[in-house]
Amino acid sequence: MSGEPVLDVLLLTLRVAFSATLLTAVPAIALGYALARWRFPGKRLVASLVTLPLVLPPTAVGFLLLRLLAVDGPLGRHTLGFDLDLLLTWKAAVVAAMAMSLPLVTRTARVAFEGVDPRLEAMARTLGYGPWQTLFRFTLPLAARGLSAALILGFTRAIGEFGATVTLAGNIPGQTRTLASAIFSAQQVGDLATADRLMVVALLLGLVAIWVTEWLTSAKAPRGTT
Amino acid sequence: MTAAPSYRLEIDVELPLEHFELAVQVCLDQPSTAIFGPSGSGKTSLLECLAGLRRGVRGALRFNEQVWLSTAQGRRLSAEARGVGWVPQEGLLFPHLDVRRNLLSGAAGRRAGGRRRQGPAMAFDDIVELLELAPLLERRVATLSGGERQRVALGRALGSAPRLLLLDEPLSSLDLPLRRRLLPLLRRLRSELTVPMILISHDPVEVQALCDDLVVLRRGRVVAQGEPRQVLVEPQHFASTRELSAMAEGGSYENVLAGTVIDDQGHIAAVELADGIVLRTEPPPRPASAVGGATQPRQVLLGLRASDILIATERPHGISARNVLPARIVALRAAEGVVTVQLAAGLPPLVVQVAAETSAELGIDVGSRVYLLIKATACRLYGS
Repeated sequence: MSGEPVLDVLLLTLRVAFSATLLTAVPAIALGYALARWRFPGKRLVASLVTLPLVLPPTAVGFLLLRLLAVDGPLGRHTLGFDLDLLLTWKAAVVAAMAMSLPLVTRTARVAFEGVDPRLEAMARTLGYGPWQTLFRFTLPLAARGLSAALILGFTRAIGEFGATVTLAGNIPGQTRTLASAIFSAQQVGDLATADRLMVVALLLGLVAIWVTEWLTSAKAPRGTT
Repeated sequence: MTAAPSYRLEIDVELPLEHFELAVQVCLDQPSTAIFGPSGSGKTSLLECLAGLRRGVRGALRFNEQVWLSTAQGRRLSAEARGVGWVPQEGLLFPHLDVRRNLLSGAAGRRAGGRRRQGPAMAFDDIVELLELAPLLERRVATLSGGERQRVALGRALGSAPRLLLLDEPLSSLDLPLRRRLLPLLRRLRSELTVPMILISHDPVEVQALCDDLVVLRRGRVVAQGEPRQVLVEPQHFASTRELSAMAEGGSYENVLAGTVIDDQGHIAAVELADGIVLRTEPPPRPASAVGGATQPRQVLLGLRASDILIATERPHGISARNVLPARIVALRAAEGVVTVQLAAGLPPLVVQVAAETSAELGIDVGSRVYLLIKATACRLYGS
């Protein structure tokens, strides 16, 4: 089974990671905003639940998702009346990546929002902007750098996801075999040449992500204040 | 003096603060009102209640016919619908926008607020000219000095077409010389703006120079309200005149008088305060255009510290002080060494600080005719 094209693995990995990042962005940023700005009962519990996947073994998260999505699980065919048709497909890999990157994006977004002086938002209100206009014209632009960093972190977490993905989506060549599982498989069967190439690709992806993040959080970036 | 439209702001609010409760009942209707009081007396909290930025405020607020707050009726108008121009101490410029876009954000806020903002709209170019902002427009906010920041914040607020300006110690972040240089700018604003303003200050000079009405706040309560000079010199509103002096820069109460420069050609200038009452002062800094030319009469503010004025019971001879002015004593607080004198009807009273025993030794009392001795160098000129 050696010689699986590196390009196919890379494209699948990027597809999974981009999808997971896009789907996570809005809920994670909204959750980060709520945790930073609102006081509500059960806030600590919500914050803990959001953080949980960070401290659990990824395989445990994957297995939990598996139980939820299984035929007789709360999100399975018996309960919903139809089949989400996720398991062992690339979509399952997306779900696993989302579960693992949501905590990271939420926590980083929360810090980004906490770095925005609420008095600047109050100022916007006195100038005539309503709550939504204040959010889109001031809060989000002011938190933009931190939010971008949050999304990049989530993206890299999605690229590197292994444990939850293997548990939920399997390791099917061409379907759910992402970079992380491809390196593992190649090494297992002794195809060191493929493992080497995949490793170099992973290194390059990681370096790019780090540079972009550092650029965003450095003073050289044009705008933002977090 | 100002073109500000008449308005009426009825305040009856309560708000628990950390160490005491803010409980203010007052009605404001003057073009320019000062909220005055020592630090920690609740001035900023009061302003934020007016701007609609505080939660948990109880009571009632009404601006003309518009109810801003009524706990009884369960109504509270949002900050964006009140149409006030809030200029907080630190300016709070938007750090992700440059100066030009900060200024424009005020006008955009006015459009965002729609019909709810009904104050007079000032054009961008007029704001830039009035506040002398042209050289700053392309600057980043982080590179501005304290005074520049305040001017931009004020310009942004004006752009939002406020019906009422709320200025929280507009000059406090600046050092004293700069503050005094900016006083004329605020005076000009006051006379050119068509928006009433409420400003927080604990500088008696600013209050006298800028305001028609003075509200003294102490531990969250209004303890006095009235014409600034009258209120400022009534020490029962303060723990002691020492407290008032301590609030004043330089440790002495400073009288502020408006006058007209009638001669600035020599080493000593002449400033006319009222009919025939002329003070000799150091020459004021001349406008560049007038250098070498004839004296143009122009308005100045003149600061005179209470401790820099001497009192004599007879007209002295052979004395170096350039000003010897007859005056009448209108109030006397011997124990504190505070003498209030009047130079002429129509002029505001002046406060003179003397040693506690002096009034007894001189045999002066309310109604006594005295002479004030003032050195030309003791007169501080603050520009027009």
